[in-house]
Amino acid sequence: MTGLHLLIPEYLLLAGAIAALFIERVSGREGAGAALGAVVALAAAIAAVVIGAQGAIAGGMLALDAVAVTVRVAIAALTAVYLLWLVGRGMGPERSREAVAFVLFAALGSMLMASARDLIVLFISLELATMPAYVLMGYRRNDERNLEGALKYFLLSMTTSLILLYGLSFLFGIAGSTSLVAIAAAPPAGLLGTFASVFVFIGLFAKMSAAPFHFWAPDAYAGAPAGSVAFVSTVPKLAGTAVMVNLATALVPHAPVLPAVLALAAVTSMLLGNLAAFPQTDIRRLMAYSGVAHTGYVLLALSSATPAGYAAAVFYTIAYVVPSMAITLIAAEEGTALDDLAGLVVRRPAVAWGSVVLLLSLVGVPPMAGMLGKLFAFTAAVSAGRLALVIVAVVMSVVSAGYYFRILRPIFFASRSDAPVLASSRSAAVAFSLLVAATLALGIAASPLLSYLGVRFF
Amino acid sequence: MTETVNGVAFLALAFATIGGAVMMLATRNVVHAAFWLLEVLIATAGLYLLLSAEFLALVQVLVYAGSVTVLVIFTVMITLRRREDAVRPFEPGWGGAIMAALFGGSITFAIAQFTSKMPAGTFPEKTPDVAAFGEKLFTTWMVPFEIASLVLLVALVGAVWWSGGDGQ
Repeated sequence: MTGLHLLIPEYLLLAGAIAALFIERVSGREGAGAALGAVVALAAAIAAVVIGAQGAIAGGMLALDAVAVTVRVAIAALTAVYLLWLVGRGMGPERSREAVAFVLFAALGSMLMASARDLIVLFISLELATMPAYVLMGYRRNDERNLEGALKYFLLSMTTSLILLYGLSFLFGIAGSTSLVAIAAAPPAGLLGTFASVFVFIGLFAKMSAAPFHFWAPDAYAGAPAGSVAFVSTVPKLAGTAVMVNLATALVPHAPVLPAVLALAAVTSMLLGNLAAFPQTDIRRLMAYSGVAHTGYVLLALSSATPAGYAAAVFYTIAYVVPSMAITLIAAEEGTALDDLAGLVVRRPAVAWGSVVLLLSLVGVPPMAGMLGKLFAFTAAVSAGRLALVIVAVVMSVVSAGYYFRILRPIFFASRSDAPVLASSRSAAVAFSLLVAATLALGIAASPLLSYLGVRFF
Repeated sequence: MTETVNGVAFLALAFATIGGAVMMLATRNVVHAAFWLLEVLIATAGLYLLLSAEFLALVQVLVYAGSVTVLVIFTVMITLRRREDAVRPFEPGWGGAIMAALFGGSITFAIAQFTSKMPAGTFPEKTPDVAAFGEKLFTTWMVPFEIASLVLLVALVGAVWWSGGDGQ
């Protein structure tokens, strides 16, 4: 059992999660738990950068390759920014220290998921990443609608876990080992391999809310506090993409049909997500469908089944979760209906113009990160011969501008007299600025990041 | 000698298992049924022990006899208002009879059909004991084991959060 000291980022998050439960009792200050969590998550991100890629550790149970390192750093950094926002805004009427602990546990599970190289570690860390999310989705424990959303999320997530586990059990049967390396090396098992792989990916599609397994997401998100949705709908998806990359690498030899399955889910997600987002009036529902669409672009990149496609999928996920989290955080501050944003440009001009940057990035307008993400994903898909899919993707990106601009319309062209007066919060402002800055800076950082992932595009 | 002891022990445990199952179905009182279920589960753990599956027997007692039965009894305690509600009339119907016959028939058919085709198993000379299992668990499988403990911790904190009262 070697290399356990390389898990320092995970240990930091664990210590922070446990300390966050108690520190407010000791220090007597509101928000101390969230502040501690933000510091710890930042330290974890820095530690993950310093440790870097290390290969297989812990007897092959985990591996820190370039994808795992990138995703680990992204998860820890994004968690730090989210907790920084939580310091200023809290969880509405409820106290926030348990939320901080759940967020850190979910981030810990997500980081382990990204580096898992064993089916058992993979499944159990997936549970560690989703278990806190159930509670976060139902965090307002006296609100029945909230608890209903959480229950829906719990039941469907459990069902999809079982589908995933069913597939994983067949993979164990094929290879006689739970190690992904052994599974990749096992002789192809024909129809059984296809069957197992498709089951595994259906489970993952549901977790990532890819169509046609997305139906839980809008309802669950609409029932949850927007502050929770901002975390649950973003950070774990980074880990989900890393897992799909790892599993696709191991399973494509067993299931030649897998890229086609990914492509099918991609086109369904892009069409359904983008078109269903139009009539929504609740920002959480709108962002849920937008998330379905973006998962479609990620799957499009994955369906190329090449290293370039895998790297593009990882980059696209990072490029889309950052603005997505920021938009949902605005909804958590201002109100979840589109009309609640009315007159935001008058009340908070900086946030209004920041949201222009975020939404342009989500549409894919240069020079924001989203545009580069789409460019890489589409390039990878075209070089794998999926031209028709890319045409659908481009058309759907243009279509998506329509509903993203529906968010901008009330911000700039409506007024609201009964707007809630928000106390100014420096930490929330810093967190929002960081997310906007990251949306811009990721475009610049794209080239070094992709060369770190071992891919050169242009 | 050991064969006879095993044979006697097996007969006793088999009788306890099947007899307990019949009693569980036959009793009219839900609480009694829960206790008969407990008896069946413990007798099954005895059967596992007889097969030298020590760890399985341990888990059977801890998880099934311990938690599951306690959960059943808790549910009965919480949902029943009066003591008399625990007693339910026995209402056999054709539907139940047909289901039972179908299930029993298919199991009997499967055993009769497939047992002869199975390769004859050999009982290993030395079965791995709990110590060997523990060694595996805390060396090879230590990482998932520790992650599992974190999952339980999260579940615990979550349960405390949801069951906690207002404004505390």
